[in-house]
Amino acid sequence: MADPFDAALDLLRRLPPSSTQKNLNGIISLRPELEEDLLSSVDVALTSRRCTKSGRDYLCCDYNRDGDSYRSPWSNEFEPPIEPEDAADLIPHGRVRRMEESLNAGFDVYRELYYEGGISSAYLWALDEGFAGVVLFKKTSSAGGSAGKGGWDSIHVLEVNESATKRSAHYKLTSTVILDLGMSSAAVDSLELAGNLTRQTQQDLPLSGLRDAEVEQGHMINIGRMVEDMETRMRNLLQEVYFGKAKDVVGDLRSIQPLSEAERDRAAHKEAISKMNRG
Amino acid sequence: MTSKQATVASFVESAPPGELSNVVADIKALASSETQSLEPAFKKYNEEQYTTVKLPGGSETVLVSKYNSLGDTRYFDTASQTSFDVDHASQKASNPQQHPLDSRNADLIRSLQKSFSTATAEHFPASTIGVFPAESDSAIAILLVASKYSPQNFWNGRWRSTYLLDPLSKSLQGTIKVDVHYYEDGNVRMNTTKKVEIGSGASSADAVVREIAKAENKYQEELNRAFTALAEGSFKGLRRQLPVTRQRVEWEKISGYRLGQDVAGGRQR
Repeated sequence: MADPFDAALDLLRRLPPSSTQKNLNGIISLRPELEEDLLSSVDVALTSRRCTKSGRDYLCCDYNRDGDSYRSPWSNEFEPPIEPEDAADLIPHGRVRRMEESLNAGFDVYRELYYEGGISSAYLWALDEGFAGVVLFKKTSSAGGSAGKGGWDSIHVLEVNESATKRSAHYKLTSTVILDLGMSSAAVDSLELAGNLTRQTQQDLPLSGLRDAEVEQGHMINIGRMVEDMETRMRNLLQEVYFGKAKDVVGDLRSIQPLSEAERDRAAHKEAISKMNRG
Repeated sequence: MTSKQATVASFVESAPPGELSNVVADIKALASSETQSLEPAFKKYNEEQYTTVKLPGGSETVLVSKYNSLGDTRYFDTASQTSFDVDHASQKASNPQQHPLDSRNADLIRSLQKSFSTATAEHFPASTIGVFPAESDSAIAILLVASKYSPQNFWNGRWRSTYLLDPLSKSLQGTIKVDVHYYEDGNVRMNTTKKVEIGSGASSADAVVREIAKAENKYQEELNRAFTALAEGSFKGLRRQLPVTRQRVEWEKISGYRLGQDVAGGRQR
């Protein structure tokens, strides 16, 4: 019999992505012991909160959560406040917090350039030989009517292993984009395209400079570029899958052109080609 | 029904085309005790998805729907004039018996069966149709299901057409549903529904079938246009391919920007 956790992940890959949250809750009700592992492995659309200290929005995920409280990347505080002992463990400081601030500032500019709106957040934590983190983006569009509505959520999980030499580091990136699109018009009562795609990459990238500030800047540059490259690749992939593949499958199910006509066209085409080759 | 039964039943109901057995295997691994209660969910799935079964002893495939249900797990086929049992869990037919077509519209049903069969072969590389008396023999149900499975390429799709013809008023109305699942390193699902009103006028079987083909062609063209509209509308509005500067971000210089407020003319959130 298959492992229940693997079965849960397989099931969530087959059931409608627009009901992932509902189905996740359903699976947890069948197997409560899987709750923690599932919540940290399954990507669902991001929620946001407003940071009361800075007035800015930030995104919520498992990595900035403690119970019902979330840590704002702008103020670096949990809202609602948590126990000081827990805060001491969970709130980053020093080098990790400096890099986290610089990533949030950098991705704030990136977000404006590519998303022209939306919300971004980055959260980092220390590892034994490096650090790890998550970079999040969320954008919704509601042009409405026949132009449709949509939602984009990016979840980038990264792991950075630093070498003793500080000349380079090894970066691992696992990126998921959740994309929901829908429209309704007189001609097409309803069209819904919803889903998520995940890609992974890893690279060794150089770091220049030996002083801490230079190394930290180097990480920010490397991570920024990696995330930008990945998002660009995934955007193209999503376009191909959502609008290319889905459309192709419909074309495979039914042909607008009568099949006998298509067959005659193909035969005539073949005939013409072979005449050209002979002649 | 307990809530656990309702949960696994809803998993079956929303299984993508061609993947019911995978979904059932997952349910078995998560809650094997609940699989006993799935019989009604399988029946509902098969009737809604127009699951096709092979007639025992023959090569014909017949679809299963509420329109050709004889109650319980027995169904009939108009083309071969047979009735048969269906095991909903395994999707297998058995115990065939003669079942003559009994309807005041029998002639029209038979010609529709012939005409629709020919017409659909012109547009669907593979499909199964069914023409049955409906609404206590006051109407005729014209059904079609076309499925394509490509699990080695991680995609499956299904097209279902349902039409109801009123032989007296000649009015024809129906629904087209298309469901596509793509799951290579991800999970993408496309669902579309369209109500079709062909009004009245078509009197002969050939005319009815021509009207259906016209409506379906028009719908498929509109659907292709809708894909483009989404790509150029809401998709583009979510994330640009490149910033308005037409260049990638210069990450070395990014700390020179003022926290995104002044970039691209600033923006209200």
